[in-house]
Amino acid sequence: MSDEEHHFESKADAGASKTFPQQAGTIRKNGYIVIKGRACKVVEVSTSKTGKHGHAKCHFVAIDIFNAKKLEDIVPSSHNCDVPHVNRTDYQLIDISEDGFISLLTDNGSTKDDLRLPTDETLLAQIKDGFAEGKDLVVTVMSAMGEEQICALKDVGPK
Amino acid sequence: MPQEEMEAAGSAGEKRDQETLESVRSVVFKPSISLEEKRFTKVAGYDFNQGLDLLGLLDSLSGTGFQASNLGDAIEIVNQMIDWRLSHQSPTEDCGEEVRNPAYRESVGCKIFLGFTSNLVSSGIREIIRFLVQHSMVEVLVTTAGGIEEDLIKCLAPTYRGDFSLPGASLRSKGLNRIGNLLVPNDNYCKFEDWIMPILDQMLTEQTIENVIWTPSKVIARLGKEINDENSYLYWAYKNGVSVYCPALTDGSLGDMLYCHSVRNPGLLIDIVQDIRAMNGEAIHVDQRKTGIIIIGGGLPKHHICNANMFRNGADYAVYINTAQEFDGSDSGAQPDEAISWGKIKGSAKTTKAQVLQSRGCPPAVEEVAYHNLNWLEPTTLMDQHRL
Repeated sequence: MSDEEHHFESKADAGASKTFPQQAGTIRKNGYIVIKGRACKVVEVSTSKTGKHGHAKCHFVAIDIFNAKKLEDIVPSSHNCDVPHVNRTDYQLIDISEDGFISLLTDNGSTKDDLRLPTDETLLAQIKDGFAEGKDLVVTVMSAMGEEQICALKDVGPK
Repeated sequence: MPQEEMEAAGSAGEKRDQETLESVRSVVFKPSISLEEKRFTKVAGYDFNQGLDLLGLLDSLSGTGFQASNLGDAIEIVNQMIDWRLSHQSPTEDCGEEVRNPAYRESVGCKIFLGFTSNLVSSGIREIIRFLVQHSMVEVLVTTAGGIEEDLIKCLAPTYRGDFSLPGASLRSKGLNRIGNLLVPNDNYCKFEDWIMPILDQMLTEQTIENVIWTPSKVIARLGKEINDENSYLYWAYKNGVSVYCPALTDGSLGDMLYCHSVRNPGLLIDIVQDIRAMNGEAIHVDQRKTGIIIIGGGLPKHHICNANMFRNGADYAVYINTAQEFDGSDSGAQPDEAISWGKIKGSAKTTKAQVLQSRGCPPAVEEVAYHNLNWLEPTTLMDQHRL
């Protein structure tokens, strides 16, 4: 399993499972799947019936939800695949530190400081500019497989 | 008309008729040359009053006519391939002491290449091929991907007889694949998949860690080792060191398995360049030995073997058993004489093409050859040590 995309330690709940099993034949387009240890969103599914190639197979094309890389997998349709639990949580943006870490306000009033700025350029620009202008920003953090990343931004301040 | 005139006219007419008859006779009943029985074989089929004598029956093929005669000739040529020894020709001036040794020369035989298409392995001819390889009667095999996998699959689950006329859609719905009038259930291929995937994983590991460079022939040898079943010709090929070449290894269920495997566990490389070195080397590095080719069917195996022999300026013996025709210019249908124009077979070679159904012509041919072969000496490997 490659970990080069895993930039940071995540305080994922120790007891909660990161994935759950699901039969390959039941996974549809826009669902989630784990391919080579990465949480991915399925963009294409095609099935080939049992034949000269052996058991019936599902051919998945999916996009890594964190780094947008395209991954492929072929799984016998009766086998179980791992499906990641994908959570989205909103946090208020408090601060951006010099070394690129973000400080967020959690529901219970404490701060979450272990996230980096997102790598996506548009999002990055929006956060930096919005923060510099003093806007009230709420970020949506997507988490799956022990990895977290800011995936969306909302301006909740007065117009 | 007066009586005399009528008689005269009558006899003149008779004379004309006679002349016409004579000229017709001289055309229709043109005297023939006599065919010396030394040069021309009398046509005579087998007399079953002699009882059920298989060898007698096979001997009678040459005199039976049409393709039976060609098959009889094919058998004769294969027997010549088996009988030839280096001792049949005088030593060249520049050869060494060792090579002059009569006992040594007696031990050097012809190198036989056997090519066949995959449908034959799906059929019962697979048992015939297994027999030949089991007793090291051939040294080099060339076949297509199906020729490899069908042999392995038969060790996991059987192929069944069906019918040419079974409707395709109905078969598909029942999960049955038709090969001519044979049926292979999908389940057989599922078993093959379950069997081969761990082996491919292992091969990839060996490639990565031990730097093994896989080629089609090495993959095939490994599969022959893994199947470990005496019913498999590939098992015997592995055991007896018979090389099996299959440059189009991906063109079958094996290719499907390699494809699926490469998606889940990528990186396995199979080098066809190394194998073409080895294959052509089989023909080139034979030193003084003669080469013979036996090809059942057409397609890739036929061309691959002939082409390799081109590098030694042609094979010395060639037997084709197939039903293909030459009118479309296909290589499959090409007669041995066409290969002579390419230098794939020597101009002086003993050749024949028996246009008989492979499934019909093979068993008797092999019976005869096997009997003839009872005192078969394993060809010396001394010469072959010079190969790369």
